[in-house]
Amino acid sequence: MATTAPATPQPSVSSPRQSSTVLRFVAGLPVLQIVALVVLFVVTAVTVSGFLSKSSLYSVLVLAAFLGIAAAGQTVVILIGGIDLSVPSLIGAANLVTPALCARHWPAGLVILFVLSCGGLVGAVNGYLINRLSVSPLIVTLSTGAMVIGGGLAWTNNGFSAASVPTWLTTFSSPTGHFLGIAIPPVLVLWVLLAVAVGVVLRHTVTGHHTYATGANRRAADLAGVRTRRIWIGAFAFSGLSSATVGVLLTGFIGSASVGIGDPYLFTSLAAVLVGGTSLVGARGDYWRTVLGALILTLITTLLIGHGASTAVQEIVFGLLIMLFVGLYGRERRLRDRV
Amino acid sequence: MRGALELTRRMPLIVPVLLGVLLFAANLIVIPQFVSSGQLSPTLGTLAPFALAGMASTPAFLSGGGGIDLSIAPLMGFINIVLVTGLLGTPFGTPILAIPILLAIGAAIGAINGLLISRLRYPPVIATLGMFFVLSGLDLELAPNPVTISGGWTSHLAGTVGPVPGAVLTVGAPLLLWFALRRTAYADTLLAVGDHDATAFSTGVQVDRVRISAYALGGIVAALGGIALTGLIQSADAQTFQTYILLALAAVALGGSNLAGGRGGLLASALGAVCIFLLNNLLGALHVSSQLIQVAYGGALLLAIVVGALVFTASPLQE
Repeated sequence: MATTAPATPQPSVSSPRQSSTVLRFVAGLPVLQIVALVVLFVVTAVTVSGFLSKSSLYSVLVLAAFLGIAAAGQTVVILIGGIDLSVPSLIGAANLVTPALCARHWPAGLVILFVLSCGGLVGAVNGYLINRLSVSPLIVTLSTGAMVIGGGLAWTNNGFSAASVPTWLTTFSSPTGHFLGIAIPPVLVLWVLLAVAVGVVLRHTVTGHHTYATGANRRAADLAGVRTRRIWIGAFAFSGLSSATVGVLLTGFIGSASVGIGDPYLFTSLAAVLVGGTSLVGARGDYWRTVLGALILTLITTLLIGHGASTAVQEIVFGLLIMLFVGLYGRERRLRDRV
Repeated sequence: MRGALELTRRMPLIVPVLLGVLLFAANLIVIPQFVSSGQLSPTLGTLAPFALAGMASTPAFLSGGGGIDLSIAPLMGFINIVLVTGLLGTPFGTPILAIPILLAIGAAIGAINGLLISRLRYPPVIATLGMFFVLSGLDLELAPNPVTISGGWTSHLAGTVGPVPGAVLTVGAPLLLWFALRRTAYADTLLAVGDHDATAFSTGVQVDRVRISAYALGGIVAALGGIALTGLIQSADAQTFQTYILLALAAVALGGSNLAGGRGGLLASALGAVCIFLLNNLLGALHVSSQLIQVAYGGALLLAIVVGALVFTASPLQE
């Protein structure tokens, strides 16, 4: 009886607590995504010759960075329970307008400032309309997207108007670019900074917590004093801003305006978020997962192209793979659990 | 003002009808030959794919739960390509065989969407966007370059079948089907599911089956749209469907159906499509560039959403 004195178990108390913290951390890790990424990397490295060269790795990473930046806004929008289908149009319009403005001898800084603020403004209008009128984010963002890309195409005469791309922008987006004298593509540096910033803001600031609260339950968040309309406007504005950023960066990457360059990003920006494991229901997930999602999707594309798949086959395989991944994560609750 | 709001709430169809009359008058002023008798059948032939795309998108919206079918436009393209490259010129190319085969394909693809959404619980956007990419990939694979056809029975659909304009048949068929469904319990059940799925489920409605059938119905109408499109363009083309993506949704919104489910119908979307067609025709006659017409579609869709929200969210029922 004396052996069961309360003093003896005392030292072991802290260790289960610690191990449960570790367990919770491990359980929260996107294990499936990490495994998928590693497997894809190995398969691509083995079957696609030349993949492991520095230049080809940088190319893949730069492509992932474009997708990752475009999906940053989409992540935040999905976290609050929305969806942004204007991403491809904003990317396309920014890509058309940037070289056209440069050709009109606007100073480069002003061009960037103008294009990015227009993107942010369109996003803010989206957020305001959706929140104020409680209408479907799908339809609102599709229609503003159509107006933006139509306007961009009309203004630049289908991308045929005079265009020029400043050299520094080409260098900035190039996989062979240098950052502060080191041979790292500057776009990658931008992506890493963005990932850290978005990650920290979402997890460790009041704004971030308000974002999750809004996504979990808008009405409850409202009653708790969160300015949910501001969160909605802010989230969509950020999405517009990140889309416009990708449009500008892609202008540097391909060195011209190109009609339809944003189109693939409609599906891939959504897919990167969902494959990462952020739920469409809202309030579950974070940007780190989207970074993994963007890397996975870019590797899948690389693998498909490396094996000579046509655009048509790429689209089909891509569509099916996304369905598979979303099937594991982004599904809705059973109806009988909601009654 | 309040009276007008009340009237709109009771008879939602009045908005697209009035808008259609206004746009029709504007068309008459700009293009006086718009109504000449020889023009009627070709004009209706151009209108048919618009109307069918709008109607095909409707059941998914009506079924609620965030329902939307983004795969309608590429499905129309797919049916167009299957008809031209797979059926015409073979023993299956006669209308008696080809039309049922194509409608079955449409229904099957719609039902797959419905299964993904209701049984596997995919969000409708993702399921139908996935289908969008699979279908547009297939379209590209089957018809990398446009294939033209000449004559045959499909050309009558954009002209006249006997004395009747072909479009009356293609657009009339789904409308008749819808009116028939309105007389059965099905349409009411569909609207009940769209209004509140959990309540419908509690009262014993087989919500899953209703949703699957709604997407299948959309697929059938989209297949008809693909056939009407073939009649109009007389070719197989993997690009044409792009035009119909946005305006299919805009037609539903302009028609006044509730995009969150529970209220609306196929006739409303057909009227919405007529408005869009008239707007398209008017802007074309005024030599507005196709890009700016795109802007106008976006604007019309946004306006329809905003006005719809302003009119209907203040309704006494919801307060």
